[in-house]
Amino acid sequence: GIVMESAAETSTAGVSVKDDLSEKCQKLFLEFLEEFQDTNGEILYQPDAEELIRPERNTLTVNFTNIEHFNQQLATTIQEEYYRVYPFLCRAVRYFARDHGNMPVAKEFYVAFSDFPSRQKIRELSTARIGSLLRISGQVVRTHPVHPELVSGTFLCLECQSVMKDVEQQFKYTLPNICKNPVCANRRHFKLDPNKSRFVDFQKVRIQETQAELPRGSIPRSVEVILRAEAVEMAQAGDRCDFTGTLIVVPDVAALAVSGTRAETSSRVTGGRQGFDADGIQGLKALGVRDLSYRLAFLACYVAPTNPQFGGKDLRQEDQTAESVKNQMTVQEWEKVFEMSQDKNLYHNLCTSLFPTIHGNNEIKRGILLMLFGGVGKTTMEGTSLRGDINVCIVGDPSTSKSQFLKHVEDFAPRAVYTSGKASSAAGLTAAVVKDEESHEFVIEAGALMLADNGVCCIDEFDKMDLKDQVAIHEAMEQQTISITKAGVKATLNARTSILAAANPIDGRYNRSKSLKQNVNMSAPIMSRFDLFFILIDECNEVTDYAIARRIVDLHFRNMESVERVYATDEIQRYILFARQFKPKITAEAKEFVVDQYKRLRQRDSSGSTKSAWRITVRQLESMLRLSEGMARLYCSDEVHPKHVKEAFRLLNKSVIRVDSPDINFDQEQDDGEMNDQNDMMGTNGNHAEEAMDTEHGAGRPEKTSTAKPALKMTFAEYRRVSNLIVFHMQKMEDIDESSLKMSELINWYLKEMESEIESEAELVAKKNLIEKVLHRLIHYDHIIIELTKTGLKKVSDEGEEPVIEEDPFLVVNPNYILED
Amino acid sequence: MRMWFVCRFCCPAAQSNSNPEWEAKVLEYFKGQLREKESHSWVPSLNDVPLHYLKPNSLVKFRCLVQDMFDPEFYMGVYETVDPSTKANVLRCGKYKDVTECGVDLNSRNTVTAERQTFYCVPIPGESPWAKEISFLSAARVVPSTSYVPSRQKRSYEEDDDDMDTQPQKQREPHTGGKFGTVNEPHGNGDSKRQETEAPSSQTTAPSDCSSHLDLNFPLPGERGPACLVKVYEGLDSFKLNDTLEIYGILSVNPVLTVLGEEKDPSLLLLNPTESMETPEEQRAHDPPASLVPRLHMLYARPLQHNNPLLPSAPTEDQSAFVSSFLVEMASVRAELLAYLTHVLLGDGLAAEYLLLHLISNVYTRRDVLPLGKFTLNLSGCPLNSYTERLYQIVQQLVPCSYRLSMSLHTMNSMRLVPKKDYVANRLVSGALQLARNTSLFLDETQLEQGQLDSSGVRNITALGNLISWQKVDYDFSYHQMEFPCNINVLVTSEGRSLLPSDCQVPLQPQVTPPNMEEYLTTIHMAQFTSQINKFRVYLSLARTLDYSISDEVTKAVEDDFVDMRKDDPQSVTAEDLHRMLVVARLLSLSLGQTTLSRDGWMRAKHIDMLRRSRTEQQKSLNGNEP
Repeated sequence: GIVMESAAETSTAGVSVKDDLSEKCQKLFLEFLEEFQDTNGEILYQPDAEELIRPERNTLTVNFTNIEHFNQQLATTIQEEYYRVYPFLCRAVRYFARDHGNMPVAKEFYVAFSDFPSRQKIRELSTARIGSLLRISGQVVRTHPVHPELVSGTFLCLECQSVMKDVEQQFKYTLPNICKNPVCANRRHFKLDPNKSRFVDFQKVRIQETQAELPRGSIPRSVEVILRAEAVEMAQAGDRCDFTGTLIVVPDVAALAVSGTRAETSSRVTGGRQGFDADGIQGLKALGVRDLSYRLAFLACYVAPTNPQFGGKDLRQEDQTAESVKNQMTVQEWEKVFEMSQDKNLYHNLCTSLFPTIHGNNEIKRGILLMLFGGVGKTTMEGTSLRGDINVCIVGDPSTSKSQFLKHVEDFAPRAVYTSGKASSAAGLTAAVVKDEESHEFVIEAGALMLADNGVCCIDEFDKMDLKDQVAIHEAMEQQTISITKAGVKATLNARTSILAAANPIDGRYNRSKSLKQNVNMSAPIMSRFDLFFILIDECNEVTDYAIARRIVDLHFRNMESVERVYATDEIQRYILFARQFKPKITAEAKEFVVDQYKRLRQRDSSGSTKSAWRITVRQLESMLRLSEGMARLYCSDEVHPKHVKEAFRLLNKSVIRVDSPDINFDQEQDDGEMNDQNDMMGTNGNHAEEAMDTEHGAGRPEKTSTAKPALKMTFAEYRRVSNLIVFHMQKMEDIDESSLKMSELINWYLKEMESEIESEAELVAKKNLIEKVLHRLIHYDHIIIELTKTGLKKVSDEGEEPVIEEDPFLVVNPNYILED
Repeated sequence: MRMWFVCRFCCPAAQSNSNPEWEAKVLEYFKGQLREKESHSWVPSLNDVPLHYLKPNSLVKFRCLVQDMFDPEFYMGVYETVDPSTKANVLRCGKYKDVTECGVDLNSRNTVTAERQTFYCVPIPGESPWAKEISFLSAARVVPSTSYVPSRQKRSYEEDDDDMDTQPQKQREPHTGGKFGTVNEPHGNGDSKRQETEAPSSQTTAPSDCSSHLDLNFPLPGERGPACLVKVYEGLDSFKLNDTLEIYGILSVNPVLTVLGEEKDPSLLLLNPTESMETPEEQRAHDPPASLVPRLHMLYARPLQHNNPLLPSAPTEDQSAFVSSFLVEMASVRAELLAYLTHVLLGDGLAAEYLLLHLISNVYTRRDVLPLGKFTLNLSGCPLNSYTERLYQIVQQLVPCSYRLSMSLHTMNSMRLVPKKDYVANRLVSGALQLARNTSLFLDETQLEQGQLDSSGVRNITALGNLISWQKVDYDFSYHQMEFPCNINVLVTSEGRSLLPSDCQVPLQPQVTPPNMEEYLTTIHMAQFTSQINKFRVYLSLARTLDYSISDEVTKAVEDDFVDMRKDDPQSVTAEDLHRMLVVARLLSLSLGQTTLSRDGWMRAKHIDMLRRSRTEQQKSLNGNEP
């Protein structure tokens, strides 16, 4: 550091070098400290300066924006000539501190600058920036122990025993140029007196560029950071921090110093260094041959934790607000976020942009999207915390795009982990290789599972996970912690993570005639922790087959970007980061709506039967709230409105209906108003679910089967076909003459349609019976068709109110119902 | 050729510093020279010539993989020296050099700082012996530019320097008549010159000893060859980790470097904490002795599409002429290769067909997270004992780059597959999955046995699974993982179906049961003439470079076909099957030298895939390893 040395020479060699700029800066800075007031008219930095009397304190932190307000020119000078003026600024602090407290004379003071406005990337650092004030951020990858560094030395001349005080040192050991004793010509033999010298804490750390800044396929770059005084031990390995300071050159090459100061130091002699080296081991260097290269280091005065870097892989960080997130965006970035928040089609556009290569499956995309936005974590009055994380499970036939969903999320979401349940275990850290004697195949059983704290954990082949490990995951999903027993010590780690799981059906393919529970190898408590369950069935239908074929062929052969994204990945990341800062509160209106919907679900679920009344539990209510909050966040709303709840409810229902695939069993109880709705309401029930479902699907309800007539059964697909046929007809009729059909008319129409298939009277009666059941179900359970009584629109499933059975009501299609493809 | 000019430009350049165009001109000149026919072959290669036979400060080339990229460093691009006796100031150029001349004036206003970056480069991992040998011989055929005369009879390129006596004598007169003369430093003094040129030979008499205590960080165990610190001056952003390059540059083995590196005295660290920013570990990794890890100042680097020495390496007219002449032969070479592979695979023609397709597969693009074109083959039902080992040797004879990973429990638990950042030494510690593009990775699951995988074993298996499924490796950066895309042909041999995922599984159905497997395979191999094997080698490398397209008409036919197949039986074909069949169709067409898909080609692809699937259905999974 040449500037510093010039100061050293001033005191030792007696060559007086004056730096007018720096002196002026010192004066102005002192003025700033003396005069700058807060809103109450108090001198802002006075209390801080008084604090400096405490022995462990020596650094005054100054908000850089205050200087800008006070004197823009001063701010500019500090910024551009930071390294040069720094000792003078510290001197100003010393005067200021002494004026406001009884400071020890020998005490050194330092200044640190917070809130420096702009930020550089590590990759952008170049020699052009040496000496000016900068802020850089990076991940701390290595810290060294704190050392004392000599800042001011007292030397003893070994020839005449004179004592030289206050020889300033800057990053390198600097001897007095010549003994102060005029008759002694000693230039080389001095001894340091450590007791009379002053030291400062010194620490080296290395920071590395963050993933977000890294061009793909490159190795992250790093830079050494030198911390001194109060800045030491502020950063731990793994932290992401901002460092304010300047670039310096290592090893110190004088010629590289700021050009402006060169003239003033021309009197400098290089003897000091050479003299020092003369005692060195190798003669070669004495000859003056030296390494041509050197490195840059960053000398930081101020360290602060980084707010999530934009585009950075940090979706969540506790001390973040929407405002602070916004402040870190560039104007263009912010404009984009704003534009997105105004997008009427945002929900749809985000879905398509997020999974451009996956065909269809829109509900799953929506579910995952809401998972990324997340709900709001809460703490109840009793102090129990309720998770905000949304967990999603996809159950599907092999070779549907399950894994691709997971992989996409891993690729997109910050701190996402992708793992396979087959090789993962939360409990142990090992796995066994077992050979199947019959097939000679090797199988792996359980390995280590890394749970991403504050991220998304994508677990493929979740069903292959050992049951005891599922229990550990269960803990993570509910308590947001995970316990690991290692070497007899039980540790509890934070695992605030959303789980995105994919599971294969037990029989390889999803069996529609069985319930979800019977289709997946998962314990009921685990299942209940998933907010959303989606079933991916390899459905066969010409339209989708064509679409799939087109999509795949396009992927392989069309050079044009077959993927259309409305928004780029980093735009979505930024948007989600911003939107996640919202903590939407539920409005009274929405609350009422939630209660209504919840009751409706319960009603539909229990409808007369006391047995399975728990199937919709408070867990689904929580899920609905989380999803509603996610929905509100998606629109950057501070409040949860009924429309948000509506979509949450729809999605929840959708994940229900997709599961709603077992055979429809119209048995007698229906006549009493009980619909044995085998909709395994998500299968995601509370702890009671297991027994509830087991009784239902096990040997069967004995008291009911005892009286059973031959049951009326229908596959789910058939049911859907018939209902679509009916709805389509009704909509057509409604369109044509805007009148409604009576139930009897509809039944007659249907039977006429089926004429060709009916051969006997018995068959006709059976068909009629069947269609009546179907209509009953459509009206009372699926609410696709609405009955109109003479008194008008019948209230849908109003609590406690016995439905008035109309002889032959008019039927209309629920206006909210949309025919599916 | 007046290549010696390279070494002289440094000085005149410094004077014309105001006109930086000279730098561009110099690079232009070299690129021009190297573009000339065969020009690259008379530059000596670090891959072939032992380091101590190469002249310091001469032009050399190096065929390598970028294993690590260090932080940028700054150097004095121009500096000034003062002659102690005459007090005359001279401007000097620091580019392409490691150390300064004597008497640097540190206060000179003429000093210019410049930036460069160091890449740590290693020979291409797993380069097949035949590829090395052919490169070596073709280089030796042309005028050797050094005094080193290779004598193949006595000394293999792989062998060590233990037979010093038989080696040709090193030429003693420095830089006389050398085509790529050494630096003629106008102000250098003769004595130090001599010192420089002689020092390395005395230091490297036993390089194997040196390397034993210095880890050269080769990705694969048992590799040899020089590692090199390449100083890069231009186009820093155009290079990526794991690129394979042929680098032309100035060799620097200045012993002063080693001396400068050693002189740090740790006791000074307390007083001068910034004097040495590097820890001893870092120094070892970043400044290894130049005699062991030479410095190479890059003038020009050519990205290598392949490292098959039998093919023209540059995409020039030469190559297109070569391709079009070979295209005619493709179908017949394919038939011969298929017959050969069928013998090797014990008479199983279908497996041979699939192996052939696998060998020419290549990730040609990525769509989002999906790598397209990869074709991992699981050859199950392999006879135990030494069959897979012999099979690997045969594959190794055909491809320019390969590695066999024996998946024994011990290997899986102990081996480092995934590169890991060492923050103490500040370098990327390599792993076996840090491989060049199109390397054939042969995973031998027949070596697996029952037992426990420890945590690193589990991580290794996971890494292999991710490599196969997504063609990427997650490098371990301690605080996070960073994914690096790769393009590796993975072949898994196993007894039952592999525990690893694969794009397609072919259960081997041997038609012959030779009593002595070793003998059987050796006989098959020996029966091939080298010229024949060379044809196969060219064929395999070439087929994967061909462009490929599909017409709208055939696209439509494929789509219709898919829908029809599903109409008949929705279970019969899934979206994933279509994915695979399209890859099979592509590879099948390319293997015949056809660059577009025909209806016929599609039907053939469908047909062989049906045959294959009927085989796997016979051995349906019993324990739920997903297909």
